[in-house]
Amino acid sequence: MKIQKTGYHGLYFPDLRISMDGYHPAAEAVFVSHAHADHMPRNRQANIMATQPTLDFMTRRGFTGKGSALPFYKVFETDYCSVTLYPAGHILGSAMIFVESDSGTLLYTGDYRIPPSPATEGFGAPKQADILITEATFALPIYKWKSQDELAEEISNFALNSLNDGYTPIFLGYNLGKGQELLHILAPLGHPMMIHGAGFKLCDVYENYGIDLGNYTVYNRDTCEGKILVAPSSAIGNGFASNLSKTRIAYCSGWAANESRRTQLTVDKLIPISDHLDFFELIRFCKQMNPHQVYITHTPNPAVVEYYLEKEGINSTYLNLEPEAEE
Amino acid sequence: MKKVTFREYCLVLQNIRETRSTNSKITALSECLSKFKNNDELFLAAQFIGEGAFEEISGKKASVGSRTSGLAAASFCNIDYDRVFKPCRTATGSSSETIERLMENIPEAINQREPQELLLTDVRDIFEQLFQAGTRAGKEAILWETWKKMTPVEIKFFIRMLGQGSLRIGFETRSVVASIAEAFGKIREEVRYTHMITGSLGQTAILAKENRLNEARFQLFHPLSFMLASPIESRSIENLEEYVAEEKFDGMRAQVHVDGETIKIFSRDLNDVTHSFPDIVDFFKAREMPPTVFDGEICVYKNDTILSFQMLQKRMGIKKPGRKILQLYPVLYICYDLVFARGEPIFDFSLEKRRNLLEQITAQYNLPVTNQMSIENPDDLEFLFQRALDHGNEGLMLKLKNSPYEYGQRRKSWLKVKKPGGSLDTVIMYAHAGSGKRGGTYSDFTLGISVKDDERYEEEFIPIGKAYGGYTDEELKMMNRKIKELTVERYGPTLGLLPKLVVEIEFDDIQLNNRTKAGYTLRLPRFRSIRWDLGPADVNTLKDVEELYTQKLMNQPKQQSENSSIIF
Repeated sequence: MKIQKTGYHGLYFPDLRISMDGYHPAAEAVFVSHAHADHMPRNRQANIMATQPTLDFMTRRGFTGKGSALPFYKVFETDYCSVTLYPAGHILGSAMIFVESDSGTLLYTGDYRIPPSPATEGFGAPKQADILITEATFALPIYKWKSQDELAEEISNFALNSLNDGYTPIFLGYNLGKGQELLHILAPLGHPMMIHGAGFKLCDVYENYGIDLGNYTVYNRDTCEGKILVAPSSAIGNGFASNLSKTRIAYCSGWAANESRRTQLTVDKLIPISDHLDFFELIRFCKQMNPHQVYITHTPNPAVVEYYLEKEGINSTYLNLEPEAEE
Repeated sequence: MKKVTFREYCLVLQNIRETRSTNSKITALSECLSKFKNNDELFLAAQFIGEGAFEEISGKKASVGSRTSGLAAASFCNIDYDRVFKPCRTATGSSSETIERLMENIPEAINQREPQELLLTDVRDIFEQLFQAGTRAGKEAILWETWKKMTPVEIKFFIRMLGQGSLRIGFETRSVVASIAEAFGKIREEVRYTHMITGSLGQTAILAKENRLNEARFQLFHPLSFMLASPIESRSIENLEEYVAEEKFDGMRAQVHVDGETIKIFSRDLNDVTHSFPDIVDFFKAREMPPTVFDGEICVYKNDTILSFQMLQKRMGIKKPGRKILQLYPVLYICYDLVFARGEPIFDFSLEKRRNLLEQITAQYNLPVTNQMSIENPDDLEFLFQRALDHGNEGLMLKLKNSPYEYGQRRKSWLKVKKPGGSLDTVIMYAHAGSGKRGGTYSDFTLGISVKDDERYEEEFIPIGKAYGGYTDEELKMMNRKIKELTVERYGPTLGLLPKLVVEIEFDDIQLNNRTKAGYTLRLPRFRSIRWDLGPADVNTLKDVEELYTQKLMNQPKQQSENSSIIF
């Protein structure tokens, strides 16, 4: 099967005339796995196929082109192949793209998380895929996540202890996905919460799909004291809640597993809650798909994954989707 | 009552790591210290956190490097060292953290470990075994046996205690001292004084617990932490007349303990370096002095001239220098401070009083001592600074007249005024993954100069040095973003870059070095600024470096006969 790079981080399959997460002029359809910026095509001409939540997010994030919604598990036929979306558990609307054609089956994972984030439609996968194109963001055995229950408890305790001690808790997490998952985890506390504007404008999409985000409003500098605050980590350097003298900050990301982040960001707590699956789940999932060939993308350490898959008797190779160095 | 285990102790260390306020950190340790009823264990609890596996004054080292522990951990976890362990270490920037997490995650490692209730004294015995073990295989076997009995967090701190560095929990020696004071209801200043005299946190903790702080005695031949100087950027100092000036020598800082026939010399990191300088030992022996401790500088001194640090380097590593070395590079010990004299420690005396005594002693026994000069106004300073450079010295030291000897501290009582050796515009050729607090970023850079029009070379750029400091956190972030775009090759933790990013660096000195491609090395290269405005065509050439070196050679140090920097 021929695979070409296209767009910012995307793939084009010339035999199938489709592309994924990137525009290609010859593609009949562009399948978008989810609405994070590095996966979203920017070209208005693209004929987008994605889940309804992904289309909603894309519109809110400034995409003005056309798109058609494709429900999970529903087979979509093109002239050359049939395509099915499976819930990826990464953020709301995130999908893995499964393609069946004369050349066999192919699964493109986009970004995914097993077990899935509680603020998503869950996780589902086909039984088998001949070709597996998988992300491997956390591709080292130092990355193994705690259970969702442990993490949720850590998050709630951090909020409660900070409030009890007279501090305003601030959770740092990405605007789309992590921010809403944090609200969802903290919702049972019933305490008023505020989320940074960029994340706020995406919240009602979550609520439209039945995800409870609790008692939240948009961040307001003048009234944020004593609330539970949620913001992207870039907000901290830009004056977010800088009028408060007593704050405690928790950085919520898979990268929080690394101690060095503590001093690099000057935060009080590192909570390693990730939108991606960990190394051990990754290897397990690759085995489960029983593929002939694995392509590894989105990773700083492809060689380590290749090495582990080789030990399992699985062929794999790195597919570099990083933009080329400028010349 | 149940004894505090090593695991509980390590959890306190981890808690201190995760606490931001210094006062809360101090309270956490003091609560822990007050739980130790047994003196041996209290001793170790204070020592492990502040000094590591061995007491600083013991001079002992386990010689377990990060390669030894990394290899042992890889085999313990049954993973490949090069293909798996190394990329993990690059990602975390810390060998010990990597080992902690692999021990936590890898099923083979989990199955091998059966954590036991180790006491601090058990761990001390293991450190002692490692110190005794001769071979790497012997050490690895001990590590393996030890880790079987530990949890991952214990393993991490065990490894950090073995290393000479800090435990990386954001806790300084003076905070340990403060915790001891808090734990036993003592005044911080009294505990600090006891620690200064004993040089031992363990002993200090016991004396504090038993209300015997006043029994501490300064011990001759046990090194005292040095008083350190802060650098100043500009030469505008407000209360200039409260300082005196001395020339700053480009030598090796050393503390000399003398008592008649017995002489000991300690380096800046408190290692015993007596054997490297038999000429200094003989010099002091001949003077038959009563117990005295000096602070001063070892310099190569020939024909009435202080020679450069490079000359001294020729014999610094040599444990037992032969006659030839001693003749080629004769050294002189130049005294500039006094911490013990006339039977008592005098670090609490003001500089003026200490200096007074020092001058009496150096005159009586004919010892070289710095020339101290008063300064009234900035013009004096400028004049003296220039003269110090003419002497071949590094610059000036300014010392506050009424300051005590602030052992182990870097405050504003001593200031150093140095002139950078020079600066160059260079291009970043390689970026290297950082470690410690810079883990996960590319923070070390190999810098290149241009040889495009140089017939001796095929390349466009060749390396001239490696810099890892001088930039702000924000600049480092910006550079890391840019580096991503410029990366063309990857060798493990190192990235090969397109030569586009220009940085201006400064350095202390240029030296000849045949082992490098350029033939020169820079001493202490560091960033001055990132020149986003410049391109690779603006980078300095090898010819420019040669020019700078030639200029430096022309600047021969002048003899000391007039206006000398020392009195001898």
